[in-house]
Amino acid sequence: MAISPVYALRETGQNLRRNSMLSLATIITIGVSLWMFGSFYLFDFAVANATQRWEGGIEFVIWVNPGASTEQQNAISDAVSTSPQIRDFTYVDQQEAYEEFKELFAETPELIEVVTLDVIPPSYRVVPADPDADVVEELASQFRGRPGVRRVVSANDTIRAIQQQADRIGFVFFVGSIILLLAATLLILTNIVSAIRSRAREIEIMKVVGATNWFIRVPFMLEGLVQAAVGALLAWGGLYAVDRHVIDDLNNAASLELFTGLQVSEDEFLFTSVFVLAIAVAVSVVGSAVAVAAYMDR
Amino acid sequence: MIKLENVTKVFKGDNVALRDATVGIDKGEFVFLVGPSGSGKSTFIRLLNREEIPENGKIFVAGKDIAQLGSWKVPYLRRNIGYIFQDFKLLPNKTVYENVAFALEVIGRPRHVIKKQVPAILELVGLGSKTKNLPLELSGGEQQRVSIARAFVNRPLILLADEPTGNLDPQTSIGIMGLLDRINRTGTTVVMATHDSGVVDTLRRRVIELDQGVIVRDQARGVYE
Repeated sequence: MAISPVYALRETGQNLRRNSMLSLATIITIGVSLWMFGSFYLFDFAVANATQRWEGGIEFVIWVNPGASTEQQNAISDAVSTSPQIRDFTYVDQQEAYEEFKELFAETPELIEVVTLDVIPPSYRVVPADPDADVVEELASQFRGRPGVRRVVSANDTIRAIQQQADRIGFVFFVGSIILLLAATLLILTNIVSAIRSRAREIEIMKVVGATNWFIRVPFMLEGLVQAAVGALLAWGGLYAVDRHVIDDLNNAASLELFTGLQVSEDEFLFTSVFVLAIAVAVSVVGSAVAVAAYMDR
Repeated sequence: MIKLENVTKVFKGDNVALRDATVGIDKGEFVFLVGPSGSGKSTFIRLLNREEIPENGKIFVAGKDIAQLGSWKVPYLRRNIGYIFQDFKLLPNKTVYENVAFALEVIGRPRHVIKKQVPAILELVGLGSKTKNLPLELSGGEQQRVSIARAFVNRPLILLADEPTGNLDPQTSIGIMGLLDRINRTGTTVVMATHDSGVVDTLRRRVIELDQGVIVRDQARGVYE
């Protein structure tokens, strides 16, 4: 027998009203924990975008002049590949560099329109054998002024500091959000157990007259789902605010050059939103399923 | 309709509620279960409704051994069995009509069926004028009538009643027994556990007496003692 949607929604609404304060607490906890969880991801994306070319221990980048002759290019390539002070390097050709540029400036298509492939310089991304700042600087200077080299840019302390701080803040957000998600799961469980207890007589009558287990359970499980969905909606609003009013403002603030390049693409924001919703559903399913399985059949 | 074969039910601490019980109840019979407190009357009733499962023996209801019934089939068994409680177990925040309709609603009966059957059964139990009252606005006898209406609204084959007059005065009990008698005359099998010697002696139906979980008497047109 299929459960009537009208019946399920009515019963779910009644359950939520009866436990309104606890429901509100659950929704807020879910909202805050998912917001923290999502913010962790957004900042992670933003920092990764801003420091994209400095990932993997890369300490300096040798930008090659797009008009450099083949001899000049070969000389640079030989110097990079034979230097004992260089542990590893990656050559990014013009096409790859252009793709990266497009990705980095996806939010400003007018800039992408005026920049063409031929003006984008290829580059060597170099990981030195010794990460000591002085050694890196000395190594970088060997390439400055070489024929065919346009510019040599080192990963300065600012980049390293951003990555380290982002990692630390991200970790705190991640741990905090996991603890809050656990609390939210327990709140959903408590809420449903409370609803089951307050409706003990109704449940007893339902069983006696022959209602199926699913018919009895669905409204309680829906209750958890509704709480999680509303919490996820709150979290989504918070994430939108973080994306538009925190990350973008930091990116655009002229006085805070440190944060230039911090941005989250639409795809990344969508991914974070869907991920947060999936976690909300998982939290509600776990919380309500445990409550229903443990208390319904008593 | 109902058949128990060597049924034994033991609770924790070796407390034997029913011991090697063998008995048959035909379709349309009215049976009183009598005996002192703790004799096994309620367990007998609960076994028939699959609220309990016996340790030994078989329980046939309408030809099926319900002890072997899969748990997902139990709700469908219960749709053929009405249950009346001593303390009525009405839902206090629902009206008389809603309490009875609830029994049909939760088994997925369509709304037009509910609208037809509920007023009819409330007329049958004499509460046609009180459909909008809440249970607390009714007397004990009226509340038990609502409970009977809820148990019978789906026209079950069997009606189980556990001390249905236990909370009622003798005069009201007679009215309730009259109602159960009318329901029985429609062909519904009624099994009623009771301490009420007055109603047993008045109705003179089949009496099964239990003592410490053992059937000690099975008498047609019997009396309480």
